[in-house]
Amino acid sequence: MYSKVLQWGLILLIPFFCQLLTAQDCDIIVQGRVVDEASQLPLSYVNVYLQETGDGAATDDDGQFSFSGVCSGHYHMIFSHIGCEDYKIHIDLEKDTVININLGHTETSLGTVVIQGQKNNVGTQPNLSVNRKKIEDSNNQNLSGLIENEAGVHLIKNGSGISKPVVQGMYGNRLTILNNGVAQSGQQWGNDHSPEIDPFAADNITIIKGASAIEYNGGNLGSVILVEPKRISREPHLHGQVNYSYETNGRGNNINARLEKYSSKLAWRLNGTLRKYGDRSTADYFLNNTGLQEANLALQLEKSWNENLFIDFYASTFNNKLGVLRGAHVSSPDEIQQAFSQSIPFFTEPNFSYGVDAPRQHVTHQLVKLKAKYYKSPKAIIELVLAGQLNDREEFDIRRSGRSDIPALSLKQYTFNTELTFTKYFDSEWKFKTGNQNIITDNTNNPDTGILPLIPDYISWESGWFATLSKKIKSTQIKSGLRFDYENQKALTISNTIPKEIVRYNNQFFNVSGLLAIEVDITDKQSVSINTGLSMRNPEVNELYSNGLHQGVSGIEEGDINLKSELAHKNTLEYKWLPSPSFSVSALGYHQRFKDYIYLSPQDEIRPTIRGSFPVFKYEQTDANIYGFDFATQFTINDAFVGLLKYSYLKGDDVKNDVPLVFMPPISFYGSLVYATHGPIKISSLVKLDNLEFEVNSKYVFQQTHLLAEQDFAPTPDAYSLLGFKVSTNILYTSLKLRLFLKADNVLNVRYRDYLNRQRYFADDVGASYTIGVNIKF
Amino acid sequence: MYRFTSISAILLASFTLILTSCDKDDPIIPNEEELITTVNYTLTPTPDNGSGVVVLSFIDLDGDGGNDPVIVGGTLQANSQYTGSLELLNEAESPAENITEEIQEEDEDHQFFFESTVEGLQVSYSDMDDDGKPVGLSTVLTTGAPASGVLTIILKHEPMKSAAGVADGDVTNAQGETDIQVNIPVDVQ
Repeated sequence: MYSKVLQWGLILLIPFFCQLLTAQDCDIIVQGRVVDEASQLPLSYVNVYLQETGDGAATDDDGQFSFSGVCSGHYHMIFSHIGCEDYKIHIDLEKDTVININLGHTETSLGTVVIQGQKNNVGTQPNLSVNRKKIEDSNNQNLSGLIENEAGVHLIKNGSGISKPVVQGMYGNRLTILNNGVAQSGQQWGNDHSPEIDPFAADNITIIKGASAIEYNGGNLGSVILVEPKRISREPHLHGQVNYSYETNGRGNNINARLEKYSSKLAWRLNGTLRKYGDRSTADYFLNNTGLQEANLALQLEKSWNENLFIDFYASTFNNKLGVLRGAHVSSPDEIQQAFSQSIPFFTEPNFSYGVDAPRQHVTHQLVKLKAKYYKSPKAIIELVLAGQLNDREEFDIRRSGRSDIPALSLKQYTFNTELTFTKYFDSEWKFKTGNQNIITDNTNNPDTGILPLIPDYISWESGWFATLSKKIKSTQIKSGLRFDYENQKALTISNTIPKEIVRYNNQFFNVSGLLAIEVDITDKQSVSINTGLSMRNPEVNELYSNGLHQGVSGIEEGDINLKSELAHKNTLEYKWLPSPSFSVSALGYHQRFKDYIYLSPQDEIRPTIRGSFPVFKYEQTDANIYGFDFATQFTINDAFVGLLKYSYLKGDDVKNDVPLVFMPPISFYGSLVYATHGPIKISSLVKLDNLEFEVNSKYVFQQTHLLAEQDFAPTPDAYSLLGFKVSTNILYTSLKLRLFLKADNVLNVRYRDYLNRQRYFADDVGASYTIGVNIKF
Repeated sequence: MYRFTSISAILLASFTLILTSCDKDDPIIPNEEELITTVNYTLTPTPDNGSGVVVLSFIDLDGDGGNDPVIVGGTLQANSQYTGSLELLNEAESPAENITEEIQEEDEDHQFFFESTVEGLQVSYSDMDDDGKPVGLSTVLTTGAPASGVLTIILKHEPMKSAAGVADGDVTNAQGETDIQVNIPVDVQ
C-alpha cells in the first residue's frame, strides 16, 4: 500500500517517432508532463534534472517540461517538488521520448494520508507514513524519533537514547511493529526497551491506526507500525548513497551507506549504519552516561524466478550499547523523592564523555527472512514468509565486588515466524485474502546474573488464522474480516519459597477478532470512513509471572496467574478532504472500550525488604475507555510555502474504579512552515542549488492534567513548547548531486520535562541541538 | 487453493512437531551471591556492666517477595555505652556467605548510616577506610534517658563520602544506592 508512486507501472514511455537514429545523434527531445497522483491535476514548479548532462528544467502551469538537444545514451532523471520525495528514473534514450509522471504529492510525504493509489489494493484503514526523504534528513534519529511528530503518535522514553512508540495510547504488548513484514520480537514488555530496528535500512514507515490491523499478528489492538524497505529499483547500474550527520548535543556522529544493483539474475542492496553519541546535555547540565554506540548491517536480495515467482531475502543485524543516566538509578522510594527535589541530578559531572558505564544496556537483534510471492494467475497470489530472530538483551547495573560487569538481566529470545497468505481478486471488484501465521518464542534467562529473573523462562506458540473480504461498489468500499488466534505458553517460574523450586505453568488461550470497515467517497475530493473492530489479546508472560523488585521504577511488580484475555472494541471515524493538490485535511476520531484491560495497579501495600520499604504494584484487570482525536492539514501557498498542522488529543479512563488511566499521552500540537525556492539557483557555472528549503517548526505539549495526584510519585510536568529550524538544499556540481541540511532543535534551549519520559523524575530533557547532515547519491 | 491448503498443513504439522518435541529444560536457579538476607547488629556494653550482649537483627531469607522478614529488636540500658559491630550475611546460601568481608574489601565504596527516633540514642563511627572516611562496621552507641523507638540502619553503595555532613553520619547528601535500609525497634530502660 505504500508508495505506489514509485512503481514503474506508472511511467509510460511512448516513442514519438519511429525513425532509427544513430548513437551519435544529439538532437533528441525529451518532454513530458507531471501530475499529482491523487488528484490527477498537473503539478507546476516541479524541478526536473537530467543528471548526466546537469541540465535542469521546471514544469509549467500545465505540468509540462522539455529538454532538447540531448544525445542518445543512458540517463537518470530526477523529479523533485516541494513536499515530495525525490523521484528518480533511468531511461535509455534512442529517440524523442515522452515521459509522464505521477508524483505522489501531498499524501506519502506529510502524513495526511488521502486516498491511496489504486484503491482496490488498499484497506480502508487510516494510516500515516514517513518516507525515505524524511529518513535521510533525520539521520540523527532512531525509529521512534522519526515518527514522533505524526498525529496520534507519542513516545515513551527512558532518557534520550531509549524510546518506544505509542499509537493512540497503545504501546508495548498492545502495538505490533512489523519489520520487513515480520513481527518484531524482543522484550516488548519493558517500557525501557526500544525497538531494535535500524530505520536507515527502511524506505517507508507506515502507521496503521484503523481496526484493519487484523491481518497482522502479534496481539495488536488496532494499531500497527510497518517498517519496510522498498523494492530494489530496476536499474542496471550500481547505485548507492552515503549519509553523514553530526549533532552537537551529545557530539554524535551518524554514518550510513547503501549500495544496490539490479540484474535480472539477482538484485541486491546492502545497508550499513554506525552511530556514536556521548553524554547529551540539558539546557543547564550534562546528562552523564547517556551515550550510545550502534552498528547495524542489512542485506536485501531479490530475484524474479520467472514472471510468476518472486523471491526476496532479508538479513539484518542490529547491535547497540547505551547508557542510562547515572543519577536516574535509584534503589529506594526515598531516593526518588530526594532526586525529585534536586534541581540537578545526582552524579552530574561538568565534563563530557563518550563513555558508557553501568547502568547500561547491550542489545543485539538478528533477523533472517525469506519471502516468496507466487502469482498463480494475475488475480491469485500466494505469499510465504519464513523468518527467524534472535534478540539478546543484557542490562548492567551498579553492583558490588566488581559485579557491574556481570549483567543484572540477561535474556536470549529466539523467535521463528511463518506466514502463508492467499489473495484472490474476483470479478466485480471482490477481493478475498486469507492466511495463517505462526510464531514460536523461546525465552531463556542467563543464570550467571546471580539475580532472580524478573521474567521467567518460557516457550510459547502462537498460531493465527485470518480472512478478509472486500468489495467496491461504485464509490463505496467495504471490508470485513475475522481472525482466530491460539496461544500456548509454557512458563518455568522460580518460586520464592525456601528452598526455591521450579513451578511450571501451561496456559492456552483462544482469541477472536473481527472488523467491519466502510469507506465512502462523498465526492471526488472527499471521503468518510468508518471502522469498527473487536479484538482480543491474551495476557503476556510478564503480566502473568513478573515477580520481584523492578529497580528502574522502584517498586515491586507482581504478575497474576489468573489474568484472562482482554477484549477491546475500537471505532474510528475518519474524514478526508483533498480539494486540490495544494490543500488537504484529515480528521480522525476514535474510541476504544476495553473489558478486562490489563494494567499495573498500585497496591495499598508498602513491603519491607532489606533494601527498604517499596510500594507494591500488581497486574490487575479493569474496564477502560480510551478515546481521542487526530487532526492534520497541509496547505500550499503560491507554490512556495507549505504549511502543516497536526493535533492529537487523547483521554483514558478506568471506568470501573472511576479514575484516569496512568501513562496516557497528553494533548500535543505540531506545526511547520516550509518555504521552497523555485528552480535551480546558479551559484557559478558549475555549481547550482536546487530545492532550497527553509523550515520553521514548533511543537507544543500540554500538561497531563487528567491524573490524580496519588497516581504518581511526582506532579506531572508543565506544558512546554519547542522551536526548530531547518535549511536544506541539493547542490548540483556537474553530474554530482549532494544534499545538505542544517537543523536546529529546541533552539531556545528550553528547560522541560515530558510526562512520558521516565527520566523526568530525575533530570530535564535535552536542550538545544544543532545537526549538520550531508547526503550523496550516485 | 489445493496447493495453499497443503502447504499450510505441512507448516502446521512441522510446527506441532517442533513444539511437542522441545519442552523446555528446567532453568538453573541463579546463585544469588550478592543477596543480603541478614543484618546483625551486635551491641556489647563497654565497660561491661553485666547487662549482657544485645543483638538487633533483620532477617529476610526469601528475598524481596514471599514471607515478611523477621525483625528482632532489643532492650538497652539507659545512660550506657555499647560497642557496636555489624555483620551482613547471605543465609540463602549454604553455608551462609559473609557479606561483611565484601564490604570491608570495598570500604571506600560503602558507608553505613544510623538514624533513630529514640531520644538520646547516638551512634558514632569507630572505623575508617584508607581515605580516612568512616565506614560504620564498627561503631559506638550511647544511650540517654529511658525511651523507645526505632533504629534505622542504612548501607549506601558508592556514596559521596566527601559531601557535607556525610562523614558525620548524615545521609542527606550521600547519594549512592541503598543496599540496606532496615528499621529495628529499640527500647531503652
